[in-house]
Amino acid sequence: MKTYILKRVLISLTTLLVILLVLFTLLQLMPGSPFHDEKLTDAQRALLEAKYGLDQPVIVQFFRYVANMLQGDLGVSYSISKNTPITQLLQTRLPTSLRIGAQAILLGTAVGLLLGVVAALKHNSFWDTLCTAVSVLGVSVPSYVFALFLAYLCGFRLGWFPQLYQMAHPLLSSILPSAALSVFTIASVARFARGELLEVLGSDYMLLAASKGLPKPLLIVRHALRNALIPIVTVLAPLVVSLMTGSLVVEKIFAIPGVGSLMVQAIQSNDHSVTIALAFVYSALYIGIMLAVDILYGWIDPRIRLAKEDGRG
Amino acid sequence: MERQIFVKKIKRLSALLLALAMCGGLFAGCGIAGQRTEGEAEGGSGHPGVLNVHIETNVQSLDPQEATDGTSFEVIANFTDGLTQPDADGQPVAALAERWETSEDQMTWTFHLRRGATWSATGSPVTAHDFVYAWQRAVDPEVACEYSYLFSDIGQIVNAAEVIAGTQDKSALGVEARDDYTLVVHLKAPVAYFLSLMYFPVFYPMEEAFLEQCGDAYGTSPETVQSNGAFVMAQYEPASTEFTLVKNEAYWDADRVQLQQLHYQLVQDSQQALLSYQAGDLDHIIISGDQMDQVAGDPEFSTCNAGYLWYLSVNISQVPALENLNLRLALANAIDRETMMVSVVKDGSQAAYFAVPDGLAVGPDGKDFRETAEDYSDVIGYDVKKAQAHLEAAKEELGVASFTFDIIVDDDAQPQQVAAYLQQQIESALPDVKINIVIKPKKQRVLDCQQGNFELALARWGPDYADPMTYLSMWKTGNNNNYGLWSNAAYDALLESATTGEAAADPQARWEALHQAEAIAVREMVIIPLYEKNNAMMTKGYVSGIEFHPVAIGRVYKNAAVV
Repeated sequence: MKTYILKRVLISLTTLLVILLVLFTLLQLMPGSPFHDEKLTDAQRALLEAKYGLDQPVIVQFFRYVANMLQGDLGVSYSISKNTPITQLLQTRLPTSLRIGAQAILLGTAVGLLLGVVAALKHNSFWDTLCTAVSVLGVSVPSYVFALFLAYLCGFRLGWFPQLYQMAHPLLSSILPSAALSVFTIASVARFARGELLEVLGSDYMLLAASKGLPKPLLIVRHALRNALIPIVTVLAPLVVSLMTGSLVVEKIFAIPGVGSLMVQAIQSNDHSVTIALAFVYSALYIGIMLAVDILYGWIDPRIRLAKEDGRG
Repeated sequence: MERQIFVKKIKRLSALLLALAMCGGLFAGCGIAGQRTEGEAEGGSGHPGVLNVHIETNVQSLDPQEATDGTSFEVIANFTDGLTQPDADGQPVAALAERWETSEDQMTWTFHLRRGATWSATGSPVTAHDFVYAWQRAVDPEVACEYSYLFSDIGQIVNAAEVIAGTQDKSALGVEARDDYTLVVHLKAPVAYFLSLMYFPVFYPMEEAFLEQCGDAYGTSPETVQSNGAFVMAQYEPASTEFTLVKNEAYWDADRVQLQQLHYQLVQDSQQALLSYQAGDLDHIIISGDQMDQVAGDPEFSTCNAGYLWYLSVNISQVPALENLNLRLALANAIDRETMMVSVVKDGSQAAYFAVPDGLAVGPDGKDFRETAEDYSDVIGYDVKKAQAHLEAAKEELGVASFTFDIIVDDDAQPQQVAAYLQQQIESALPDVKINIVIKPKKQRVLDCQQGNFELALARWGPDYADPMTYLSMWKTGNNNNYGLWSNAAYDALLESATTGEAAADPQARWEALHQAEAIAVREMVIIPLYEKNNAMMTKGYVSGIEFHPVAIGRVYKNAAVV
């Protein structure tokens, strides 16, 4: 197991470096520099490019960037927040997005599992239909519709929660956005949980376990649910990343100081250093979560771990 | 088997019904809520002394010599005074400079600073040295200030151009502190609008000791920025979505400031901004053209001049067909701008038949430039018959039967809507002209324009100072913004005379020269003017005294009050 993890970590680091190089090359190929404004003359633009070292060859820029990054320096923003170190920009924004995303995942998984289990156990009943309806709605209606609806109902009309994110009340402000983001997770988890659970419930080993006289709750939680979790974890992994890296639309609606809106702003304004830093952080998160998922598989289903440790499977 | 299918069908049907029922529930909820809130919105009252305002973009920099965007300028001006400040009508009045005089040739300005103005963090007085330091920073090639041209081309300050180009040391800049409270500025030529230039943030002072103490962290927190103005930064983070300023009790003009707190909230979603306004969380918001129907007739609705002129840039020198004046006139006459304002732009913007917008500059006669200028609406206004006649003439002159042009536009909502309208108008009035719309990110669109890589481009320009030159200088031969590379010797001569020539020192003659120059630019169709942008907004009844300006500082809160 240890060698397996170590190997995966090393591969991940190499991948990250390659990603960085690709990012750098792509942004070089992008037309335009951060400094194309109506008011800028060519001479003035040259001065700005020199100031930020953008007049150097790409390869020089790349190695200087990697060297700075190893010291925890991600460069400064060119236009979104002029000359502000990107680490400082991320310091408050990344945790905000992570927290809202994590809350959405937790809420979504819990509610989704509950719905899925209920639907599977009460197969073909009213509850099953309700669960299916919720799933269809949750998957097909985009999260910003829920965001607008929640902002309107719980924020504007009922006044339970702030309609716009307030930095003074981070927890209270994050409830509506998390709820809006969780709907898709609820729907997907419920759908997969129901389908898998139905299949597992009909399997021979469940029949065997039941015939041994195991009490039903234990039967469901330990035997059925655990086996039904594998596909759910597979769906959840990419969801976790997309939610934790901040949703542009939901961030825009609730005026959340997160990284999702920052990324779009950076791309639109050619603020290359911010784009690279964020894309890098996203990649690192993605790779980290995929690693965690692989390890989690082993824990949920011992067959996977054994096969990998043999090195032959 | 059949029964199973039947069950499935029933299941699907009930799921669908359920979904529909839930949607219905949502809308029912909205309806009730809508009724309730209308009642609430009417009888609102603010928190006395606290003003919550809406911004659509974040602050990019709190450094007056680095900032380039409207939001930053507005916020910087809240906590920093310049030599002058705009009054409610945009005319320059005394701020840190108590009084001033010019030499006979109008090339030397002496500003006498008021005593008693202090910096909030260090407590030291604001002196002439702070101006000299800031101005030298602005032209320093190492700082690479984007607005340095206001010192050289626009402000005509001695040696500014040389320092920016790196051929002179920044100490050679024509500004000196004769003593702590006397600032002397040397110009290369008389500059009629010099006093209004002085309230542009790039000319604001900076205390050297404080900036050095903050280093790179300057302007990233309330502790690393200091005030000599009406307000002090109380809560701030770089690119934050909300921040707060409070009244500066040590401000030299503190008696006039009635607000205790000024709170900014960034909201990019215009519908959410309106909801927050209706809920009473925001007291003053900017609304989009799409929302006009919702607020029509509301007494809290108003518009203000945003200063921008939107126009079609025409690549005159590089597209043979567009070099033809008749063709340019045909395009201009094919556009019904008045209908465009009502049905497409909708935010109160005005149709433009001129090269220098309304409400920008006041002449030596005390009248707005437009008031005494010619009316060109009959030359370039909507007239399908004229457009077709011009097109026929152009076809004959060029020996071409039909034309196709690309319009490049920014990927923002309004420019795209405007471009679609232009396409429809031109193609229906002139069946032999085909228009293709090419959407580009704004920076790319600007780059294409600057490189001459376009046929028609939907572009805009915002004024830098309250004088027609801020628009007219763009069409000088060789100017960076003269995308179509238009060149006219008579036009250049008129501008030359008004800037550094004989008309420069004679306000009346200068104004006349500028009027003549505009006539050439419009009649020769260097651009096709479209509209003068207005901002549509909502302001609560309990808020008063916010001042709006099309130039430099969009909103001023010094005289604002919330009761």
